[in-house]
Amino acid sequence: MHIEKHPVLGRQLHKPVTIYFNDQPYQAYTQQSVAAALMANGIKKLGVTRKLVQSRGLFCSRGRCCSCYMTIEGEDHVRSCMTEVEDGMRIYPNMDDPEVRRDIDED
Amino acid sequence: MKTDVLIIGGGPAGLSTAIETASRGLDVTIVDEASKLGGQLNQQTQALRPLPSLYESMRGFELANKLIEQIKDYNVRQLLNHRVVGFYADGSAGITDEENVFPVNAKKIIVASGAAEKAVAFPKWTLPGIMTIGAAQTLINRDFVMPGREAVIVGSSDFAMETAIQLMDVGIRVKAIIEKQSGALAKEQEKVRELSRSGIPFYFNSFIKEARGNGQVEQIDVALPDDVITLNVDLVCMDGGRAPILDVLYQLGCSFGFQEELGGWIPQYNNRFQTDREDVFIAGNAAGISTHGPLLLTGMIAGISASEELQAISALEAHEIREALWKELELLEDKEMHSGRVKHLEKFANPVLKDQFIY
Ligand code: FES
Repeated sequence: MHIEKHPVLGRQLHKPVTIYFNDQPYQAYTQQSVAAALMANGIKKLGVTRKLVQSRGLFCSRGRCCSCYMTIEGEDHVRSCMTEVEDGMRIYPNMDDPEVRRDIDED
Repeated sequence: MKTDVLIIGGGPAGLSTAIETASRGLDVTIVDEASKLGGQLNQQTQALRPLPSLYESMRGFELANKLIEQIKDYNVRQLLNHRVVGFYADGSAGITDEENVFPVNAKKIIVASGAAEKAVAFPKWTLPGIMTIGAAQTLINRDFVMPGREAVIVGSSDFAMETAIQLMDVGIRVKAIIEKQSGALAKEQEKVRELSRSGIPFYFNSFIKEARGNGQVEQIDVALPDDVITLNVDLVCMDGGRAPILDVLYQLGCSFGFQEELGGWIPQYNNRFQTDREDVFIAGNAAGISTHGPLLLTGMIAGISASEELQAISALEAHEIREALWKELELLEDKEMHSGRVKHLEKFANPVLKDQFIY
């Protein structure tokens, strides 16, 4: 849930944008991080761990723990807590290892 | 790119050091990986006290705005959404905008990289919905997002109590505060009383035995001294304390010393906040975990010292300002912390070990 009216800071969410998680549209607001905007829409699982395949979510929201890696606009392993949403942004969870051998000119 | 002073980190310490150097005519560059200066101050809605005499009492985000406003008058280059990734053989910093890496050649470097929150481990503590108290605070006060509806807080420091109150203020139900010690750790006992009065149980001598949930936290078992209870929650905020962020200082090859009161291993520095790499200064939590007032003061001392070496201020004037700032630091800082700092300075003059790290 978005906090429409904050007890100290008042109304801060002005500019709505649409982001796509797994190709489904969700509402977010500019200046929110990707991880936070997904959480506002009830999505807490951002991926799974490589080895034990356990769910991962936002943990530090500071760019330190790397628990929030996602694929954002075609780039794998982006820290979603440090990336601000943009209108039309396409976001996918990181469910396994990225294809590191992918030809960078491919797309 | 060339600059007189490169400041790594744009939080309170980085900004106060920027004001000291840039106001004396130096060319200053701040690099920060966030998209806004101010660091963790930006989501701190609590009143900060005590602050240095230069500042009236205010809330965290207000202080951030004030510091950002102050540097606008000076020659400060802001590299936001940028990170230092290493150093070249000639000593220049390698900085990335997440696409390219470029060198920045600085006469002096001031590291104000801050601190990171530590975790409290228990079985399945990595489930989504379990996060640091700082993360929960960031979500509600910076992103304006509810991190959950029903929460527990693990820990009872001032920061944990403050966050519990802020969570309640946005409508999150705090179901319990779980503390492994036998009493609340917060210095401001008023906050503890406020929380107890609103009916939140404090479980002392207690800890989370296990968390459970399908893809996210749904339930926790809490081990009380003589019972185990189960709580349904979708948010667990943990306060594991903080540790200085030191990556850059390892890369710079600074020598380190262990100082319990300041948060463990930290670089050695003298009373100018200068490390044993003469061109590298340190400020803020990276120089030892502390509270807001001292963070600003250490930034000011480091800034004065770097300005002195770059001849932007006379040695005499620098000496006098530094003395005054150290006096104020002693006043504002926790006694134990301050004596740890003084002990740490002594180690700089008489290093027990040099190059104690195996690279
Ligand atoms: S949540 Fe820790 S890096 Fe994003």
